[in-house]
Amino acid sequence: MSDAALKSASERAAAVVQIRNLVYAWPNQDPVIVIPELNLARGEKVFLAGPSGSGKSTLLGLVGGVLMASAGEIIINEQPLGEMSAAARDRYRSDHVGFVFQLFNLLPYLSVIENVTLTCRFSTRRAERALQQSNSIEQEAERLLHHLGITAELMRRRVTELSIGQQQRVAAARALIGAPELLIADEPTSALDHDLRKRFIDLLLSECEAANSAVLFVSHDVSLGPLFDRQIALAEINEAAASLEPNYA
Amino acid sequence: MHSFATIIGLAQKSLRNRASTALLTILSIAISLALLVGVERIRSEARGSFANTISGTDLIVGARGGDINLLLYSVFRIGNATNNVSWESYQDIASQNAVEWSIPISLGDSHRGFRVMGTNTDYFRYYSFGNKRKLEFAQGRPFAEVFDTVLGADVAAELGYALGDSIVIAHGAGSTSFLNHDDKPFTVTGILKKTGTPVDRTVHVSLEGIEAIHIDWQSGARVPGQSTSAERALQMDLQPAAITAFLLGLKSRIATFSLLREINEYPQEPLLAIIPGVTLQQLWELLGVVEIALLVVSICVVIAGLIGMLTSILTSLNERRREMAILRAVGARPWHLLLLLISESTLLAALGALLGMAVVVGATALSANMLEQRFGIFVAVRWPNAFEWLIAGIVVLAAAVVSLWPAWRAYRNALADGLTIRT
Ligand SMILES: Nc1ncnc2c1ncn2[C@@H]1O[C@H](COP(=O)(O)OP(=O)(O)O)[C@@H](O)[C@H]1O
Ligand SMILES: [Mg+2]
Repeated sequence: MSDAALKSASERAAAVVQIRNLVYAWPNQDPVIVIPELNLARGEKVFLAGPSGSGKSTLLGLVGGVLMASAGEIIINEQPLGEMSAAARDRYRSDHVGFVFQLFNLLPYLSVIENVTLTCRFSTRRAERALQQSNSIEQEAERLLHHLGITAELMRRRVTELSIGQQQRVAAARALIGAPELLIADEPTSALDHDLRKRFIDLLLSECEAANSAVLFVSHDVSLGPLFDRQIALAEINEAAASLEPNYA
Repeated sequence: MHSFATIIGLAQKSLRNRASTALLTILSIAISLALLVGVERIRSEARGSFANTISGTDLIVGARGGDINLLLYSVFRIGNATNNVSWESYQDIASQNAVEWSIPISLGDSHRGFRVMGTNTDYFRYYSFGNKRKLEFAQGRPFAEVFDTVLGADVAAELGYALGDSIVIAHGAGSTSFLNHDDKPFTVTGILKKTGTPVDRTVHVSLEGIEAIHIDWQSGARVPGQSTSAERALQMDLQPAAITAFLLGLKSRIATFSLLREINEYPQEPLLAIIPGVTLQQLWELLGVVEIALLVVSICVVIAGLIGMLTSILTSLNERRREMAILRAVGARPWHLLLLLISESTLLAALGALLGMAVVVGATALSANMLEQRFGIFVAVRWPNAFEWLIAGIVVLAAAVVSLWPAWRAYRNALADGLTIRT
């Protein structure tokens, strides 16, 4: 994939995420990530495939500004993450990125609604954007949950009493509230039954469409790839992966 | 900053979610704090009532010996005098110009475990305790006849005596003495009001009464074949030859030190004079070791309580790594996590402290009676005072400081983990 070199300046300006010569190594380890170039356009839905241990979560941590690149740069909305202070990166994350993980996305001691609105407690921008949609952030949470198929009855349950599929949909609502520019999903469907996976991704993608959020969706299940605008195999863009043995088709 | 409020709210909800462990931690902090404050309360009350045992007396005079020993037998009715003071010396000193009043004391006998004290009616007029309180009669009047007796409040209450009852005094101080002065019984003419001092546990008779029951005795044993009836004894001269000690009240306190020196250098007889307040202080310092030991033990219990809390936070930390990663993902800053854990433990400790204070108030209300009757310690049932709140505040602060450690670990973990928790 060397399309990046051909990108026009206007396409670059529209990019939500630009990665240049990114290198990351965990302390006292060889680099797991060596990515010369990767771009995500505004609203683009990208599927990133890779076997487990290949560095997918690490890459997401870097893009989310939780981890700091060892070398190279990640530019988000024209802003290089490396030039931001730790506080600015934390603010960037809460203002512009939503996360959905594989499992245990919710705080067990908060209600469904409180879990969804948690994002808005840490980000005024997200709270304001939520209020552009609804009268209150709670109403916006309900609206999103409703779109994602969580009924009013389910909203009243304790989060620990929800099925895994329901929990993942609540997590998606939390990631999407306040319409972030980027949604990062780290194997959110791996714990779901096969039938549920497609339905969950359809719901997730249509909500991202509505919010105009770009999606970086990571999974080792390559059968999900066709649901997205673009599919990337991490091994193909990650030069550190040369030393790893890819075990997917 | 509203994320601050968010974190405090999270801490509350997280604690409520772990209610049973939280409750146990609260309980252990409450109990340990209650113990500390309770001990401190008893200590300060004991010190107060100790200092209040005697007041208004400027000097106590006895035969030469230890200062503390003299204080113990003359005021606390503990131990015995090694020697007596002659009546002549007593009269001589008591009639000095500087002296306003004097109270003679004659000890050595007992009644069913309570000490008997021979004195005169000046005792009821001049003896004072606490904040210059005089002795008061609950019933009856001072002794007037040789075989009259006035009982302390506890003596009457514990032995069930009423006015007009007749009691027999035993020779010596033991409660199981077989040597009774049973030929010369005494009649109860008065019962004193409770004072919270050793007076409550004293049987008071006149010096003449003491003299009368010892007519047939010499150096602690009955003279064989000699038996003087009570009626005959009353005809005899009952002026004692010696007393055990005497208390002095001076016209002016300025004279205290010169009289003290004069008595300590009394040429006719080796005497010892003490200033009660000074010797009380010495005695309290002696007891201070016990006091400090108690305090150290209860501080250790509080530390154990805090360690218990620390343990439960540390063990929960691993299972909460996920929670920390979620909070990081939604934009919580590392110091938010620090704040979350610190506010959780502070909240626990604050609840524990409040409960502990409630336990102290409840426990003093329940045990005040017992403490007063069994140990003579009067513990007022009252709300915690400023000092006790300060102790509670220090415990809460200590909990916050202690929780810095797990909080710091959570902070480090969150930074090292990124969004992937490897378990
Ligand atoms: N917190 C961490 N500390 C140290 N090494 C880590 C950490 N997380 C992941 N790694 C290492 O980085 C590599 C990539 O892991 P990860 O990004 O989790 O892969 P994937 O998400 O594709 O399964 C693995 O070798 C893993 O051992
Ligand atoms: Mg992973």
